[in-house]
Amino acid sequence: MDRRAFLKSSIAASAAASLPWRTGLASSDWRTFEVVTRVELQLPEGVSRVWLPLPLSLDTGWHRSLGNGWSGNAARTDVLSDGKYGASMLYAEWPANVATPHLELASRFSTRDRSVDPGKPRPDAGRLSPAERAFFTAPTEYIPTDGIVRKTAQGIVKGARNDVDKARAIYEWVVENTFRDPKVRGCGWGDIRAMLETGNLGGKCGDLNALFVGLARAAGVAARDVYGLRVAASEHGYRSLGVGTPSVTRAQHCRAEFFAEGRGWVPVDPADVRKVALEEPPGKLALNDPKVAAARKRLFGSWEMNWLAYNMGHDIALPNSKGPKLPYLMYPNGESGDERLDQLDPDAFKYTMTARELKA
Amino acid sequence: MRLALLLLALALPASAQPLKPWAGGATPALELTDAEGKLHRLADYRGRAVLVNFWATWCVPCREEMPSMERLRGALQGKPFVVLAVNVGEGARAARAFGEKTGLGFPLLLDPDTKTTRAWNARVLPASFVVGPDGRIRYSYFGAIDWARDDVRVAIENLLR
Repeated sequence: MDRRAFLKSSIAASAAASLPWRTGLASSDWRTFEVVTRVELQLPEGVSRVWLPLPLSLDTGWHRSLGNGWSGNAARTDVLSDGKYGASMLYAEWPANVATPHLELASRFSTRDRSVDPGKPRPDAGRLSPAERAFFTAPTEYIPTDGIVRKTAQGIVKGARNDVDKARAIYEWVVENTFRDPKVRGCGWGDIRAMLETGNLGGKCGDLNALFVGLARAAGVAARDVYGLRVAASEHGYRSLGVGTPSVTRAQHCRAEFFAEGRGWVPVDPADVRKVALEEPPGKLALNDPKVAAARKRLFGSWEMNWLAYNMGHDIALPNSKGPKLPYLMYPNGESGDERLDQLDPDAFKYTMTARELKA
Repeated sequence: MRLALLLLALALPASAQPLKPWAGGATPALELTDAEGKLHRLADYRGRAVLVNFWATWCVPCREEMPSMERLRGALQGKPFVVLAVNVGEGARAARAFGEKTGLGFPLLLDPDTKTTRAWNARVLPASFVVGPDGRIRYSYFGAIDWARDDVRVAIENLLR
């Protein structure tokens, strides 16, 4: 079984009682959005290339891609994949003589809120094969599972009897011991060994949720990051957990899942607990603040789906690029004259992203 | 109407990329009803060249290239060539309204659950495939193209020889 097949079967296992397509879209709990990404490369030198992440291509009970449309003056475009995780992307290429390479991608998708009670067995939970379990407990370049990661994980899960208990212990540990650091660029690259060795446990979703995933994998619990984009305001009263404007250029957000026998894939988001603590008015709330406590309870087992899911990939080698691997693919990426553009600087790159909800 | 078609044609990208010779696998099945309820099977068009185009009303470049598909159809009138435009994920009403507004003379097929679109791996729209009279895909093109361009028409005519 190849890696893509792993992901496909694993996602299928998490798609609880998937609704028929039109029925699902027509039901009141599904919402449909459009995200438009516009790229206009500034002062290109030589051949220019752009890679835009595409929405998760496999249907789940909480996310369905409806289609993507592109326009622009690229000489070559293609839909490519990283090959290992099935992270798909729109690739565009311009020759050296194009003064203003530009590209626009419109992606439509439907979502509905996702909730799994980790305490209750689910008959449709599915199982991971030994190969799948090995895949989702394996280390990545930025998420090792040996050394200090393993040692920390073993200390956290001591006495835990099953995967749910282990994941719960790690979730609580991450919430208790980390903090959201607003100075980190982008979402953070998730170098969890450095975080643990330095004792600096500050970061953003790319760091804190990667820490959850790494500790879980080191404890033998299958886990993965899911990379995406916030596209709408939260309807659960959390200003910090949504976007209030159509502009979502800087709204990238990653989440995490773990797999438990009899439960399937369980959504979690400890990084968002720390975001609530830092950012909900009046700010810098204590963990025992009722608003933080409610988020902490909710985010072990549920995701509000005001969010576009891209992929679950790590260590992404961009096809047709000689540049370094990316820890993950969540932002537009580009190169001009074989030089990688700064994906975290949309104003210089340059790219913009907008989102809107489509209502019948 | 003619002025509108001309303006849309001018809006097509200036790049003149040729159709890409198909190097992928076997031709996926295609069996869909059109906006008028008529069933179309790709297999029934054996002996004719077929332009299979995946589109949606919300996809601007899809809308922009469609008039050129109509012009290509006109240029190849009398020859064994058909256009099957597969609407991705929308309903009959939306497709029918678009067809009536633009005066397209080819069938607008419906793929509401997008299963056919996925089978053809048309993940980014517009996506087009030229199927030869033998039922094999011969060319593909991702993005908008001026289907009335001479080199495109000649490539398709060559399939009919």
